[in-house]
Amino acid sequence: MNSRSATALSRSGMALSIVLLAACAGNGDGLDANGQPLVPGGSAPSPLSADFESIQENIFTPICSVCHAGASAPEGLRLDAADSYNLLVGVPSTEVPSLDRVKPGDPTDSYIIQKLQGHAAVGAQMPDGCPTTQPCLSATTIGFIQQWIMNGAPPAAATATAAQSAPLAVTSIVPDNMEAVNAPPPQVMVAFNHELDVSQLSTLSAHFEKLATAATSTVIAQVPAQISVSSANLRALMIWPAAPLSAGHYRLVTDATSATQISDIGGQQVALGAPDERGETVISTFDIEALP
Amino acid sequence: MNQRSLLGALIVTIVVMLRAAPATAEPYLAVMTGYKCNVCHVNPTGGALRNDFGITYAKVLLPAETVDNTLDSWTGHVTDRLRIGGDLRTDWSRDTAPNSPSTQAFALEQFRVYADLTILPDRLGIYVDEQVAPGGSQNEEAYVRYGSTTDGFYVKGGQFYLPFGWRLQDQTAFVQQVSGINMTTPDKGVEVGWEHSAWSAEFDLTNGQANASTGSGYQVVTQVVYTKPIWRVGIAGSSTQSGAGDRHMGALFAGLRTGPIAWLAEGDVVQDDSLERTLVGGLLEADWRVLKGHNLKLTAEYEDPDRAVRNNQQTRYSLVYEYTPLPFLQLRAGYRHYFGIPQNNSQNQQLTFFELHGYF
Repeated sequence: MNSRSATALSRSGMALSIVLLAACAGNGDGLDANGQPLVPGGSAPSPLSADFESIQENIFTPICSVCHAGASAPEGLRLDAADSYNLLVGVPSTEVPSLDRVKPGDPTDSYIIQKLQGHAAVGAQMPDGCPTTQPCLSATTIGFIQQWIMNGAPPAAATATAAQSAPLAVTSIVPDNMEAVNAPPPQVMVAFNHELDVSQLSTLSAHFEKLATAATSTVIAQVPAQISVSSANLRALMIWPAAPLSAGHYRLVTDATSATQISDIGGQQVALGAPDERGETVISTFDIEALP
Repeated sequence: MNQRSLLGALIVTIVVMLRAAPATAEPYLAVMTGYKCNVCHVNPTGGALRNDFGITYAKVLLPAETVDNTLDSWTGHVTDRLRIGGDLRTDWSRDTAPNSPSTQAFALEQFRVYADLTILPDRLGIYVDEQVAPGGSQNEEAYVRYGSTTDGFYVKGGQFYLPFGWRLQDQTAFVQQVSGINMTTPDKGVEVGWEHSAWSAEFDLTNGQANASTGSGYQVVTQVVYTKPIWRVGIAGSSTQSGAGDRHMGALFAGLRTGPIAWLAEGDVVQDDSLERTLVGGLLEADWRVLKGHNLKLTAEYEDPDRAVRNNQQTRYSLVYEYTPLPFLQLRAGYRHYFGIPQNNSQNQQLTFFELHGYF
């Protein structure tokens, strides 16, 4: 290349640099916080920040819960506003059980971060299909989730405050109400509005019963269960089958020797499950559909 | 104040002003020297394990100060057939975004080790790139290579990084994010490469990231680069066929050396068929070799996440100082400022970092 060509290329480089330096960011007019056009009559979510409420509103609800919701939620992970926190924080991932989905204070060893960054040992990068069918979360967006985890992964402040003034209650059971799920749930999650008194866990025991049909209570198989509450989230009681469940109709019942009440750290009590016609206390009922 | 004190003050000043993502490639060095990637790296598409010349470059030409004698025997070879290498990056970083508390933390960004086993010299080898920290061990690259990576054809089979544009050190660069091809997203398949004179070309057939769990679909990537001593130009294309929707990408990239400054530029266009969306990413980088062992890196970046949506463009500007006082030790300090739509805090954050990088 002669000096004239080099000079011309150099000038072109300078010109390109001026163009890039002069490029301006969008002013955001007519867009929501995710950069999407506002829907007439809709309200824009609050800007993304490193707190659970904002992450739920800006990421989990609009992006993740498109798939991770309801009975067909992959890996049993529901990321709708009602269940996401309790199914994330302190809960072992099903793909790599040695890693919690969210490990407070440790974003590096939180499976959700590995999945979002595409580093997880199992499965595809999330959101599923990125970057082909939808954009991957940007490093800066993932950074807000990392920051929330680094801060201890606290729950939404408003939700926690409001619950304290209400009596202890079950807020969610997943899965329940003869819900049909298309894969064996890794666990049954019973969520409460208060932090539980874990010292009473040893008085609780339960098992899964596989029923002959949904309409009858004939038990054709029993699977023992283990009960745990993660120290990272004292509001969620997790009940794990000791062996994988196969397709069929199930109910989760407390053992005959088990306590049927559970207490919060303030001493309030609430029933764990409801008695059926046989006098057993049923915590949850659900169906596992046979996969094609 | 003498020259050394001035440099020290400059480094400290910059230190108190980015966050780095793990990676190991520095294409500005290739532009600065006029070398092709395979001159310094075992992997012909660049990055990670250094070859004999790459080690020599790291010992003698890159650092401000060379260390006599003690490092002469280190060439990366454990035996005649086995070569190893590694990179460890640890940093302190501070993130500041509007309406959010600032955070700062020390972190181990990465510790990666590489190994290349020559089975038949210049013909057959096995290459592994493993991230051992943070977290559990994680394989980045592992492939069998047949053929010559210096002149002629070669074939890779296994897991490897795809060739698409500049393989930058910063994996968060907009062009890397827009394409989704970077050094955190290896793919499984085969690559046929050709190295001859000023030409480098690769053809890859892989699963495609979008098809990782589906068992269907594929991705085809092609890249051609023409390299001359003070300039180079490359073109890359990619097409992913996926049941969830197809994606087509193109990139044009170039490098130019003007005196002590190496210029890198890249423009990417991405078309997502199912989303009826076109993304655009742009990069301009200038690396000024202030003195031997000192590099000042300035970057300006542009991203339009959807051409059909108005007012959503983002820009990012970075200033990074890289000081290599000794062989195999580098100190990096930097500042990045993001500009995006005002209603999104993360698009308007500022990152400051100070990084310690050891390698061998």
